[in-house]
Amino acid sequence: MTAVDDRLDDAGGSGEARIVDRGYRHYDGPRTGRWGAFRALVVHSMQRALGLRRSAAQKVLPGLTVAIAYVPAIVFVGMSVLLKDTLLANANVVPTYSEYYSFISAAIVVFSAFVAPELLCTDRRTGMLGLYLASPLTRTSYLGAKAVAVVGLLAVVTLGPPLLMLVAFTLIGQGPDGPAGVVRLFGEIALGGLVVAVLQASLSLAVSSTTTRKAVASAGVILILLASAALSDALVSGAGARPELFCLNLLQLPFELVRRIYGDISPVPSVASIPTITLVAAYAGWTVLFGAITWLRYRRLAVDR
Amino acid sequence: MGALSSSSTAVVDGVALTRRFGATTALDGATFSVPAGVTGLLGANGAGKTTLLGLVLGLARPDDGEIRVLGLNPSTAGPEVRARIGYAPEHHRLPPDTRAHDLVRHVAQVHGLPSRAATNRASDALWEVGLGEERFRPVGTMSTGQRQRVKLAQAIAHDPELVLLDEPTDGLDPVQRDDMLALIRRIGTEFGIHVLVSSHLLEEVERICDSAVILREGQVVASGPIRELTGQGRGLVVEVEGPVEEVAARLVACGLEVAADGHRLTVLERADLPRGTVHDLVRDAIADSGAGIRRLSDRTVSLEDVFLEVGA
Repeated sequence: MTAVDDRLDDAGGSGEARIVDRGYRHYDGPRTGRWGAFRALVVHSMQRALGLRRSAAQKVLPGLTVAIAYVPAIVFVGMSVLLKDTLLANANVVPTYSEYYSFISAAIVVFSAFVAPELLCTDRRTGMLGLYLASPLTRTSYLGAKAVAVVGLLAVVTLGPPLLMLVAFTLIGQGPDGPAGVVRLFGEIALGGLVVAVLQASLSLAVSSTTTRKAVASAGVILILLASAALSDALVSGAGARPELFCLNLLQLPFELVRRIYGDISPVPSVASIPTITLVAAYAGWTVLFGAITWLRYRRLAVDR
Repeated sequence: MGALSSSSTAVVDGVALTRRFGATTALDGATFSVPAGVTGLLGANGAGKTTLLGLVLGLARPDDGEIRVLGLNPSTAGPEVRARIGYAPEHHRLPPDTRAHDLVRHVAQVHGLPSRAATNRASDALWEVGLGEERFRPVGTMSTGQRQRVKLAQAIAHDPELVLLDEPTDGLDPVQRDDMLALIRRIGTEFGIHVLVSSHLLEEVERICDSAVILREGQVVASGPIRELTGQGRGLVVEVEGPVEEVAARLVACGLEVAADGHRLTVLERADLPRGTVHDLVRDAIADSGAGIRRLSDRTVSLEDVFLEVGA
């Protein structure tokens, strides 16, 4: 027995202890494959846009925007609880589900102008796109994951508040009649929220695919939305052109479709006269056009390696 | 063009690879083999190194020829190939506001590791590259040397079979460069991961690589084990006192290639002769000529000599 062993025994040690340097270890566990890569990119993108795992400053804009979208819903629910009798006497104080979007249109525009540039421009500017394309992701699956992330994030704003109202009104007894009514309204809310989110997402993705500068892309999205609304309004209301030119209005087109989903009638007679199928065709056309721009842009994009 | 079999033991096999960009031919019938271990991909700017890496990753298809990476065709099985490859790009631009650990973990997840495994291995990889204490720092606050290590960590975190490193010592000071080269050598030996290093720094490749592929204007002008590449010009340098011409003539008569420079003769070894034969022939030629020897030494050839010799 050595002196060291004696000392270990004196200290109560077993003499068996060892410091082990594990070094590099190979990984033998399961791998998630292409679907795992897709899912990881969606989750990471959503976390990034919401400022999660980032500094407090990066959380301000998404936090404020989401708050702006939800505050009216919370206020309306609160008013319904506190001023129940007054509201019953004057039912127009609380907007319908389709009218709610007019309260939060600014939040939707700001969010759509912020999210896609944050997710697409940053990847190209920081060289992350090169790393992604050196992974199991392809250009198509990369864009698909980004599109899902952007639509998902916009749905937080376009879908969440009406859902909150549905749940709250149902709980306080002012919701739709019976389970069937709740299910039907839930379907309308989901469809309406997605209609708004998908068009805004496709537009902002297309604009973001053309530049690496987030600010330029954000400004471009807002400019296109406002310019399309102004142009459409000038043509239809100012110049007396065909009402169908309302379909140029990228800001109001999805909101009008939402009205149709809920069975509401537009307060503007010329817009109300447009057949729903025309609106759906215009909506689909715009979405496909913006999607095609994004895909074509990325298909030939030189990746910085 | 020889067909490639999936049973080849080479990590990367390319046969008659051609890749054009409009009127420019970036790769022009390149045939090569990247064996196990650490291999250097050498060439001047525009030689086709980046294009070749793109083909290895399956990001582009060859216009002609065939390539196999880890036994698969990256043109048709790109995602499967890339899942088994780690890649560290040349550029240093990484998301500045992302913490190193978050970045490495995310890239590991994208390469197919489940969340918990990715978290653990991201920490391990950052420890291995010497950034254990710095792993929660935003990448934007790191030095160029640290960013190079982050790039290396994200390339190995998912335990790839092959790592592609594009100019991994770019922007490093001499001490950092030595550390990085030692680390790359460890990856290729201790970690058991095959490494393909794209570089234009010959001395680095010679220090850490087992093999090299040398490109010039899209063509492979030399490839093979470093030992063989530098051994191709092996021989003797002898300084003769006396009838130099006669000594040279006797050596040429023996079938050796001799270059004379004053009293100095450079005698190249012949691959078909047993090692040491040249020494005997030189000794005999000098003795028979009645000359004397001032100096006798082995001729050493660096990778740079090979590089210059093939015109790369």
